[in-house]
Amino acid sequence: MMKEWLTRLRFLVLRLPHAELDEELRIHVEQSTEAKIAAGMTREEAHRQALIEFGGVERAREQCHEQRPGWWMGTVLQDVRYALRGFRRNPVFTFTVIATLALGIGATTAVFSVVDRILFRSLPYAHDDRLVSVGLVAPIIPQEFMLGGSYYDWRDNQKPFEAFTSETGVNACDLTERNPARLSCASVEQNFLPTLGVSPLLGRNFLPEEDRPNGPKVALISYGLWLSHYGLDPGILNRLIDIDGKQVRVIGVLPKDFEMPALESADIVVPQALDEAAERKEAPDTVMYAFARLKPGLTIAQAQAALEPVFNYSLNLAPAQFRKEVHLRVRSIRDRQMQDVYTVAWVLLGAVLAVLLIACANVASLLMARAAQRERELAVRAVLGASRARLARQRLTETFLLSLAGTAAGLVLAEILLRVFIAIAPAGIPFLEKSHLDLRIVLFTVILSILCAAVFGTFPALQCPRTATLAARATSSGAHAFARRCLVVGQIAISMILLTDAALLMRSFSSLERQPMGMETRGVLAAHIALPSYRYTTAQEQMEFFLAAEAALRRLPGVSAVGMTNWLPPSETREEQIFSIIAVSGRPRPAGGTGGMVTWRWVTPDYFNALGIPIVRGQNFTEEQRTSNENLLILSSLLASRLFGDEDPVGQHVQPVPDGPWYTVLGVAANVKNGGLTGADDPEFYRLRRNVTGDWHPWNVMVLKTSLPPAAIAPWVRSQIAQVDPTVPVEIETLTDSVSKLADRPRFETALLGFFALCGLLISVIGLYGVIAFVATQRTQEIGVRMALGATRMNILRLIVGEGVRLIVLGGVLGLGAALATAQLLKSLLFNVGPHDPATYAAVAVLLALVAMAATLIPARAAMKVEPVVALRYE
Amino acid sequence: MPPSTDLLQGTLDLLILQTLAPGPMHGWGVAQRIQQVSKDVLQIGQGSLYPALHRLEYRGWIRADWGASENNRRAKFYALTRTGRKQLETEVATWERLSAAIGLVLGGIPEAQA
Repeated sequence: MMKEWLTRLRFLVLRLPHAELDEELRIHVEQSTEAKIAAGMTREEAHRQALIEFGGVERAREQCHEQRPGWWMGTVLQDVRYALRGFRRNPVFTFTVIATLALGIGATTAVFSVVDRILFRSLPYAHDDRLVSVGLVAPIIPQEFMLGGSYYDWRDNQKPFEAFTSETGVNACDLTERNPARLSCASVEQNFLPTLGVSPLLGRNFLPEEDRPNGPKVALISYGLWLSHYGLDPGILNRLIDIDGKQVRVIGVLPKDFEMPALESADIVVPQALDEAAERKEAPDTVMYAFARLKPGLTIAQAQAALEPVFNYSLNLAPAQFRKEVHLRVRSIRDRQMQDVYTVAWVLLGAVLAVLLIACANVASLLMARAAQRERELAVRAVLGASRARLARQRLTETFLLSLAGTAAGLVLAEILLRVFIAIAPAGIPFLEKSHLDLRIVLFTVILSILCAAVFGTFPALQCPRTATLAARATSSGAHAFARRCLVVGQIAISMILLTDAALLMRSFSSLERQPMGMETRGVLAAHIALPSYRYTTAQEQMEFFLAAEAALRRLPGVSAVGMTNWLPPSETREEQIFSIIAVSGRPRPAGGTGGMVTWRWVTPDYFNALGIPIVRGQNFTEEQRTSNENLLILSSLLASRLFGDEDPVGQHVQPVPDGPWYTVLGVAANVKNGGLTGADDPEFYRLRRNVTGDWHPWNVMVLKTSLPPAAIAPWVRSQIAQVDPTVPVEIETLTDSVSKLADRPRFETALLGFFALCGLLISVIGLYGVIAFVATQRTQEIGVRMALGATRMNILRLIVGEGVRLIVLGGVLGLGAALATAQLLKSLLFNVGPHDPATYAAVAVLLALVAMAATLIPARAAMKVEPVVALRYE
Repeated sequence: MPPSTDLLQGTLDLLILQTLAPGPMHGWGVAQRIQQVSKDVLQIGQGSLYPALHRLEYRGWIRADWGASENNRRAKFYALTRTGRKQLETEVATWERLSAAIGLVLGGIPEAQA
């Protein structure tokens, strides 16, 4: 057996010599002839009989060759060589097919690499499908949260989870060693890591006694911090490090891929060390985020139902006006992480698959056109003895080669596109910078392209060449032409959908950019300062620093106003409270509901000057009032009209928080965009930041109005602040930049979808052009006859263009219907534009019609110029 | 001429191996011998003999060498290799089992009917 295989292998490389076979056959015929001569035939007759008896010599020789093991591989090579020759003869065809495939496959692969991380990646936790985020949803905090007291009730009384844990958020902290750094510290419950199924790379998890108030100070550090600060030194275990001026013992290192479930970055994880007894007793004020591991076999919906009793119990403890607006939420950690990115990811994936579909349709259409052109050649080959299987294989080889080349080019394009995405993408799209083409995705691409080739290559390949075409004067390919028209209609329809979606996003984006901010963003520079809390421990010290910094900045030339606030609009980071707790003197509190959220901020008088916010009624704060003890407020127009209607609010008394101080309304400021770019504007009030310690925090934004270019003034700002304290970190940004950063996400989405829509349009138009040009060439003879019979050139033009118009209208109408039906999916991404915005649809229809008409006019004009004499001789 | 019987698929290989069993032979000889031995019942298209010979050679069951024929002509002689001889034994055994089974079936039908 072994020997047999060795022989076979030997013959894979060697072949029996051709000449020997020829000689052997010749000898056989000679011997046969001699035998017949001996039997009494003449030499000629004997030779003739011998050949008849032998059968086809040539056939026998062919069959002998085919006995060679691996003979078929040679024919594959032959097919490949033949295909390559064909491609070289038709460079335009080859290039178009490969470019179309590359574009389709490249774009799909790049986008898939991006959304793969968002939609399908596995989380770095054991059995991550059973991990959920649990909590209440209320208008105050958009993410589900829990309050100290009720968290413990839930933890003790819940049924659906095998483990229940919490974290209290991530805060800035300072590593105050010889190599100081600003880090982020996450505070977690003792069973946090075990619940997630994470075990430390080095060392151990927290002990229960370490998660108590005044317990031993311990911390786990991230792999990144271990690498950057301690050079992966295993001696880090049990070392004492200084965090915020306190000695903390390192008890372990987190795994390399560790991440907090809400994706905050955390360099250090410490026990939250809450006083459980106190949390249970007092009014709950610690905000916690709860995560849990479902018992095996339970679904999220079942868990939610099982939690209702504890939820209702907590609800009864909540203030009355909250009850209606608080809901229970249990969702997977993946949902919690990706929330608003989901829609975008699906829309992009859909868009890119649409482009791939258009590309594949184009390839199919091109292959069919080529098949139609080659009908005669194939018929000749069939007559010369090529079997049907052989012809089909030849064509599949061609398709396979094309898709192989397309895939290779597509992968290169994908890598380039991915780098472009990452470069232009805004911050805040999770994992984008980590996405890359991995083996799975390359495999996905290859399978895609093989599918593409199989689906679109098989159809033309299976058609048997009709020998009748040899006889016919002109080739006919009615079935082909019909199928290609269908493909073009489909392409136009899909392009229409893509284009309308892209146009909707573009309109939404431009209305986002053009919306009034309520303030002057140009010439405004913001210096964000967060004082290190271990150096500035008292509010007095903090206030003194900021007052000194303010005085220093005011000395700068070209700076006309220096205002201070705690948060700068339009960012949605801000102080908030509910509306219904605001009291107006001499009036009863409004009953029922929370009335929604009200934003407020601390400001100095120059805040309004620096941002150019007009005071529409009453007065601005004055510099003198800063040193007074008066409680003063400025309301936004929106809040003023909600509190006082048409009455004059100036001079009225308002108490924002029950049991808090009463304030006198000094004036009304115009509304400012304060809920992010896309969020609704909240009513707002401004409290004067006086030179009283209670009004100050360690963080502050210094707002400068300047007539100089921001790039020139930024270093001066830095040096002025450094003169007060050189160790304080300062972040400087123009307001224009920070506003534009808020628009990064929609800009990115719009740009991507726009890019795909244009790709789709381009490919469809190439397809349309191809079909019309093909039809025009096929009808050359007919055109010649028509012209000879007196048709004018205009008639011919109309004939060909009519063909195109039918396809465009049909595709356009189908696409319009589909676009109207699917636009609803985009709704959450749109700003100030309805998903059925008529202007957008009209504009897209006109654009598509114009481009498509141009694509039909070019071949139609060529057909119009046909010389009747030439056309009639055309064959 | 008695009517020729179509060769069963794969039987040609067995016939060639059997013909070559006594000693090396050239292609023409193989064709003649099969015809003589089968008393002209089995007519092998001479054209299909050579692909079969090549197939067997590629499989390593027979070996080919150039030599001189009876009338001192150059001819290609085919001989069984050792694997070829083993193959012949197994094929003969298979054939006998098969024909015995078919014989049983053919002989058995009248008995069953009777």
